[in-house]
Amino acid sequence: MLLHKITVSHWRSLLNEVAMGPFSERVNVVHAPNGTGKSAMFEAMRRGLFDAHHVTGGEIEAVRPWGRDLSPSVTVEFSEDDQTYRVEKIFLSGSSAKLSRLESGSFQPLATGRDADARIREILAADAPGRGLSRHEHWGLAQILWAPQGALHLEAISENVAKNVRAALGVQISGETGGQLEERIARRYLDYFTKTGKPKTGKNAAPVTGLTERRERLKAQLVELRQKQQGFEEASRTVEDARNRRDQARREADSLRQTLGGLRKQAEEYTRLKSDLKNKQESESLAKERYENLNAAKERIEATRKEITELEEKVKQAAKREGEFKTEWETAKELLEKRRSERETARARSSQTSDHLKKIETARQFLSDQSDSESLRTRLDKITNLEAELQKERKKRTETVAPDAKTVREARKLIGERDTAVASLAASQVHLTLTPETTVSVHNLTEDSSHQASPSHPLKLSGDAMVEVKVEGFGGIRAAGPEGGAEKHRDAIREAKDKLEKLCEPYGSTDPDRLDALREKAQELDQSIKAIQQKTETLLDGTTTDALSSRLAEIKARRKATLETYPDWEQNPPVLSELQSAFDQFNNEIRDTVQKAEDAFDKQQGVCTTAENQLNTHMAQLKADRKNLESARKRLEELTQDGLSDEHRTKAISEALMNWKASKETAGQLEEQLKAIPGDPAKDLEKLERQLGAHEDTENKARDDEKTAEGRLQGLAAEGAYSKLIACEEELENVDEQIGHETTKMEAIRLLHDTVTECKQAVVASVAAPLERSATQMLSRVVGPRLGRLRLDQNFVPEAIHPDLASEPVKLDNLSGGEQEQLFLITRLALAEVLAKSGRQLIVLDDVLNATDSGRLARLLTLLEEVSDRLQIIILTCHPERYRGLGGAEFFELNH
Amino acid sequence: MTVRFIHTADWQIGMKASGIGPVGQQVREARLDTINRVLGVAKERGINLLLITGDVFEDNAVDRFLVRKVGDKLSRFPGRVYIIPGNHDPLVPGSVWEHAVWEEASNVSVIREPEPIELDDCILYPCPLEEKYSTRNPTSWIDAGESEKIAIGLAHGNVEGLPDADPDFPIPRDAAGRAGLDFLAVGHWHSFATYPGADGAVRLAYSGTHETTKFGERDSGNVLVVEIDERGAAPKLESVPVGRLQWQTEETSLEREGALDSVLSGLNEIPAPESTLLRLRLNGLLYASDRAKLASVEEIVSTRFLYGIVDGQSLVPAPEDDSWIESLPVGPVREAAEKIREQALHASDEEKKAVATRALIQLFEMNEKNHEGE
Repeated sequence: MLLHKITVSHWRSLLNEVAMGPFSERVNVVHAPNGTGKSAMFEAMRRGLFDAHHVTGGEIEAVRPWGRDLSPSVTVEFSEDDQTYRVEKIFLSGSSAKLSRLESGSFQPLATGRDADARIREILAADAPGRGLSRHEHWGLAQILWAPQGALHLEAISENVAKNVRAALGVQISGETGGQLEERIARRYLDYFTKTGKPKTGKNAAPVTGLTERRERLKAQLVELRQKQQGFEEASRTVEDARNRRDQARREADSLRQTLGGLRKQAEEYTRLKSDLKNKQESESLAKERYENLNAAKERIEATRKEITELEEKVKQAAKREGEFKTEWETAKELLEKRRSERETARARSSQTSDHLKKIETARQFLSDQSDSESLRTRLDKITNLEAELQKERKKRTETVAPDAKTVREARKLIGERDTAVASLAASQVHLTLTPETTVSVHNLTEDSSHQASPSHPLKLSGDAMVEVKVEGFGGIRAAGPEGGAEKHRDAIREAKDKLEKLCEPYGSTDPDRLDALREKAQELDQSIKAIQQKTETLLDGTTTDALSSRLAEIKARRKATLETYPDWEQNPPVLSELQSAFDQFNNEIRDTVQKAEDAFDKQQGVCTTAENQLNTHMAQLKADRKNLESARKRLEELTQDGLSDEHRTKAISEALMNWKASKETAGQLEEQLKAIPGDPAKDLEKLERQLGAHEDTENKARDDEKTAEGRLQGLAAEGAYSKLIACEEELENVDEQIGHETTKMEAIRLLHDTVTECKQAVVASVAAPLERSATQMLSRVVGPRLGRLRLDQNFVPEAIHPDLASEPVKLDNLSGGEQEQLFLITRLALAEVLAKSGRQLIVLDDVLNATDSGRLARLLTLLEEVSDRLQIIILTCHPERYRGLGGAEFFELNH
Repeated sequence: MTVRFIHTADWQIGMKASGIGPVGQQVREARLDTINRVLGVAKERGINLLLITGDVFEDNAVDRFLVRKVGDKLSRFPGRVYIIPGNHDPLVPGSVWEHAVWEEASNVSVIREPEPIELDDCILYPCPLEEKYSTRNPTSWIDAGESEKIAIGLAHGNVEGLPDADPDFPIPRDAAGRAGLDFLAVGHWHSFATYPGADGAVRLAYSGTHETTKFGERDSGNVLVVEIDERGAAPKLESVPVGRLQWQTEETSLEREGALDSVLSGLNEIPAPESTLLRLRLNGLLYASDRAKLASVEEIVSTRFLYGIVDGQSLVPAPEDDSWIESLPVGPVREAAEKIREQALHASDEEKKAVATRALIQLFEMNEKNHEGE
């Protein structure tokens, strides 16, 4: 484009019409002091060329001179593609537009009004603004060529202008078909990714996003289901363990139950309440879990049509299963009644145990009496025998006269005295002993007695004071001794003998040994009598024979009475161990029967409750599913239309919450009932009973544990955790597969998009290279080589410089203000030169180069002179002297 | 007196069906329905004894309605049914065998103790399992040597010598002979398998599952009809198909342009597609002109069959088939297509190859649409 002339009136400070031109095809300098309207003229030219005449709004209103109702107008004469045009536009009141072309020396109208606006933009390859005044990006090539005041920097160039530049450079990156394909690729890419390459999120997210979210939800669900499945298996083991513990506890308790029986009703009640409370608390937990699940489900549910289809199918299946649930419950109830009847029958049998116990007690008494009777009889016989023996011994004792120990000692003393007297007598006598060589006759002359003496039988003779003998064949022998004393000794002997005989006369002997023997015999008889008496006393044991006889009679009477009841015991006495064993067996059978019946009843009750709960849960679930379905549909609607509520789901959650609260309240009531029982009643029992109680508690606890575990197990079993788990796993696998497909699809489109972009960038880079070189050379001429190479982006906007000394490119905001304006001016000139290849172009520089020093300004002016061979340049300035050095420049002073 | 009975096992009711997308539930229902076919075989042949050797259910925590359905079906059988719990549904607290249906079904006996059961013309020696895993031989207690009647063992476990099998409830290959049994009916292995003794008589056999459980499972979907004439006689075995579902894996290598035509015609020849699960693996070269056919194959496989999937991850663009790329407009798109094609052909990573192949298919489709002016 070449500008020839411009006429402006009623435009900001240009109140009256101001005309300027004709302009030189080379360099023009329009100068005037500040505020006189240089920029207003330039603005009027832009508005005249690029804005619709009928534009309204604050911005165009601001153009109107202050305080006047004048309509701004502008007339521009210019040439483009060897044609000369005139544009006449009036804005605001009486707005109009007219485009004329110079034909045969005069301007002929081409178009008016909106057609004129459009035609001008077509001629200048400019874009129409959506509404309001045109912006920089609507100016077409003027985006590059015209630098308004304070906007020398080139920050962006529209794609169309970049295309023009590329076209002017003789390079076409993508043809029409290629461009369409690129657009298809870009559109497909934007289906999945944002412009920055991130996967899209929110309502327009790619399917993989929803699938991934679904996968995460399924994973969470899977964890929960796996825990349930694990819980089921653990519960099974817990029941098994509890059964083992219970059996063990029962075995231990059985030894004590042989002597102690009966159960404490209150303790049972306590235990039952405890068990019920536990069950209710579990129910509460389940209700709470349901509430939380529903609540969580509300957050999780994603509206897709597939989900709705699945829910519909689910509701349909659930409705089908409703009958099955009811049948299950009815069957369980029937079986429960059967178990109840069996339990009552079993309990009725337990009353028979007391008869057995009574018989055992009677048998024990019978056997005890029998034993006591025999024992008493034996005792009495022994006592009688002892009494007879006592009589006999006493008689013997009476018949035995025996000295006592003192008498024996006295006798021994008298004998000693006698013997002493005899010895004294012997000592007082003469003693002669004859031991002949041959047997001889000896005649005692003293006593006148004859004797025989031989070598083997010497003869000893004694005599008072003298002994005289005549020995045959030998002669006489006289032996004499002291006289006197012998008679005294003989008296003593006699006296001792008399006393002894007198003392021993009752015993028939003076022999002390015999006397001792008599004494010992008497003593033995005394001991024997004493021993018999002691034995008798022992046998009587503090009682009397009469008392024992009386007791024996009493036992006999009792035995007789027992035999009237049990006559066969006469011949076959009862065997206590057999009776006890029979009783134990009977009792165990009864207890086992009762226990089994109670267990079966309890278990069936659990099954019945579970079935009922299942039915209720199922019905609630069915209801909830229906509501969920409704909710899902609403959510789908919400996704498509926005703003729909989720009240059905909220209602379902509210109902679940109510169920939870109801369960909680029931558990609370049980707790209150438990509080009414002051502690465990078992604590009040006697020590032994406490022992049994402890064992029974252990057994009961084990049983409670078993029941609780069984209850939990039944509940878990009824849930069919495995079936849910595998359904979830399958769904997860399915989603994983879909994610795989979608990911491949996404990655494929990303690969396609990124590869095309990469290729395109490579082409653009190759296109921009010559331009970069040209601009770099110009820059080097003005500022020297310090700044190095100028780098342009794919739309030819300067993005960095790469000094030779720097390893990395340097961003432009690191340059000084003067260097920045020099760099942008040079870039514009380089681009203008490219565009000028298809025709001379107009460069407008409004008040630029204010920060450029005079040295660089001189080099820039030289550059401007050079490019003015191919470009028309209009410089608007308030410092015309700075441009006086421009050779061949036309100077216009704005003076209105 | 001749004894005839049906031997079946491993129904695995409620099992997980992996890798078949959304039809897992239908596969599970088929397993349930096939019970009727098992009972039908008994009815057709006038057999009134059904022996089930374990794993009737996949797990003790399956949905209780499945238990009732199985119990109800068996209760309608006019003969006697004897079941031993297997390692998947062992006899433990909370097991499926505690369900009331087993009490209600008077003709069905869930065997809970390893004790002989004397019937009119034979004695059963059952080995119910009470745990999931064990290295104990479940048949070790059986001593049927003195039996005058035909002796039949029921067990569940791994017959020793099975490939890649853990010693889980190990059963010696000569267990029947050792225990003095005429026949030992075994469950656990899903394929029909027999184990002849030294005399050549088969006295130990797996009936296999009544309905195939997965792709690649051989000789499954049958029940075993067993006939024993007298004590000591060699049993006569007949494996009778009862399975409803066909699990078919097809693998085709595309070597030339138009090779997908034969794949398409092959699909038309598969009988009963509504009860067939098909896994079609394609590898080799994909020509641009075959891309539409590939889409047809994918559509047919996914819509005609009960379940079908085409695995084309290993397909690569045919190296010589670059005409469509040359027809792309000169510029970045064509350059990009050539680069992606290189990646599809030569990337070291299979996943990258698959993504690149997919990208080419997308570009091809977009180019087609561009030409069609869509």
